Amino acid sequence: MSEVIVITSGKGGVGKSTTTANLGVGLAMRGKKVVLIDTDTGLRNLDLLLGLENRIMYDLIDVVEGRVEIKKALVRHKKYENLQLLPTSQVKDKSAVNPADLMVLCDELRKEYDFVLIDCPAGIEQGFQTAIAGADTAIVVTMPEVSAVRDADKIIGELGRSEKDNIKLIINRIRPAMVDSGEMMDMDDINDILAIKCIGQVPDDIKVVTSANRGEPVVGDSDSQAGKAYENIVGRLLGEDIPFMEFEKEGFFKKLMKAFKFSKD
Amino acid sequence: MSRELVTIKGGRDGFRLLVDSSASIEEIEAEIKKKLDANPGFFPEGTKFELEAADLNRSVKKGIGQILSQHGLGVALPAKKEPAAVSVPAPAAEAPPIPNGGIQHDGNVTAHEMTVVEHTIRGGEEVTSHGSVLVMGNVNPGAQIIAGGSIDVRGTCRGMVHAGAWGDTSAVIIADRLMPTQIRIANMIARSPDVMEKNNFAEQAFIRDGQIVIEPIER
Repeated sequence: MSEVIVITSGKGGVGKSTTTANLGVGLAMRGKKVVLIDTDTGLRNLDLLLGLENRIMYDLIDVVEGRVEIKKALVRHKKYENLQLLPTSQVKDKSAVNPADLMVLCDELRKEYDFVLIDCPAGIEQGFQTAIAGADTAIVVTMPEVSAVRDADKIIGELGRSEKDNIKLIINRIRPAMVDSGEMMDMDDINDILAIKCIGQVPDDIKVVTSANRGEPVVGDSDSQAGKAYENIVGRLLGEDIPFMEFEKEGFFKKLMKAFKFSKD
Repeated sequence: MSRELVTIKGGRDGFRLLVDSSASIEEIEAEIKKKLDANPGFFPEGTKFELEAADLNRSVKKGIGQILSQHGLGVALPAKKEPAAVSVPAPAAEAPPIPNGGIQHDGNVTAHEMTVVEHTIRGGEEVTSHGSVLVMGNVNPGAQIIAGGSIDVRGTCRGMVHAGAWGDTSAVIIADRLMPTQIRIANMIARSPDVMEKNNFAEQAFIRDGQIVIEPIER
C-alpha cells in the first residue's frame, strides 16, 4: 500500500524541506521505496539538503511537459538506493506545473513506490494548490511561534476546503528551555488551537543546520535530538506507537559550568 | 400607469408590502423587481415584509415569496414557524454590507434564524448570519463571526466576534472560554487586554450602561 504525503506549512522557514528530507531518508533507512518531489519551483532546495545538486539532469518541468520519462528525471540518493528525488526547476516559476499534472504524476509514482513525499512551497497560492492535489495525507509543519501557528491554522482550513481530511501535525524547532520558562508557546497551547493529530515534536538543534550544509539529513545521527525526533516520526508514519520524547534541556556538566560561570552562554 | 400595483410602506414593526390583488402575478413580479432594483442595497438582506392584500391567492403569494427571496429578502407570515437553519460559512463575496454606526432596523431584529456551525472556525474563515450563531467548536485567531443576533461558542473563542451587527444592542456573546481579539456588540468595540488571561469558566459579554462588560456565567 503506497501513500502520497504532502509536507506543507503556510509560513516559510519552519522546516518543510528539512522535514521532507529527513522523513525521506528515515523511511528509506527502514527499507521503504521512497520518492521525494520538490514542488517549490523557482526556489528549489530539497536537492541541496540531500546533497544531490550536482547530479540533477532533468526536472519536474521536463517531466510534466513530456520531454523526458519520469525515470530519467529521478535522482538516486548517494547512500540509499531506494530513495529517489524528483527535483524541480530553478529557472521556471510555479505556473509551469498545474494540479492536474501533479495528480497524474503521483498516480504514476504510487505504483512503484511505498511513499511519495511532496515538498510544498510556502504560501496558499497556486504552488500550494498544485502540491496538495495528488496527496492522500498532509503533514502540516509549524513551530511554537504565533505567526507560524496562525498560518498553520489557515492551511488546515484550506486543506479542509480541498477535501484533504487526513491531516497530521509536526511541531518543529522547539526550544525546551524557552517553553519551560514560558517564553515560548507550549505544545498544549498549539494542540489546543490546531486540534489535529500531532505526530512529532522536534527540538531546535544546531545539528540540523550543520547537516543541511553537508547535505546529509540529521535523521541517522543518534547524537542529535532532532535526529531522534525524526526517527520517531518515521516510526509513527509506519504505524508504530512511540511516545513523545522528553527533551534534554541542558546536560548536568553544562549546568555545573554555568553555576561557576565558565560557560560562555 | 396611474395606480400603484405594489407599494412598500415602512411601519413601526417593519416593512409592509401592499399589493393590488386584481393585478396578475407577472405584473406584480415586474413591479416588485422594478422597485427593488431602483434602490439596490436599500433593504438589508434578510429583511422580511409583511404581506398586505385582500384575498391574494396562494400561487400569487408563493410567487411574491420567490421573487423576494431572489433578492435575499423574505415574507413575514403571521405565526410563521422558524426552521432551524444549518448553514456553512458564507464566502466573503456574499456577505452583506454592515451599515456604518449600526443603524437600527426595528423590523429586522425580530426575524431570528440560528446558524449552527458544527466545526471549528479556523483563521481566515468568516461566518456571517442575520440571526444568531452557534459554534460547536472553537473560533480560532484570525477567524470572524458577524451575527445579527447573539453568538454562542461551545469552545474557546479567540477570533473576532461581532454580535448585533445590525444594531441590536441586546445581543450577547457567550463562550466556554472567552478570549477574543476583539468583541463588538452593535456599534461598540472592546479589544482584548494586551496580556491575555486564561480563564477556565464560561463568560458572557453584553452591553450595560453604554459599554461592553464581561461576566462569568453558569453553563
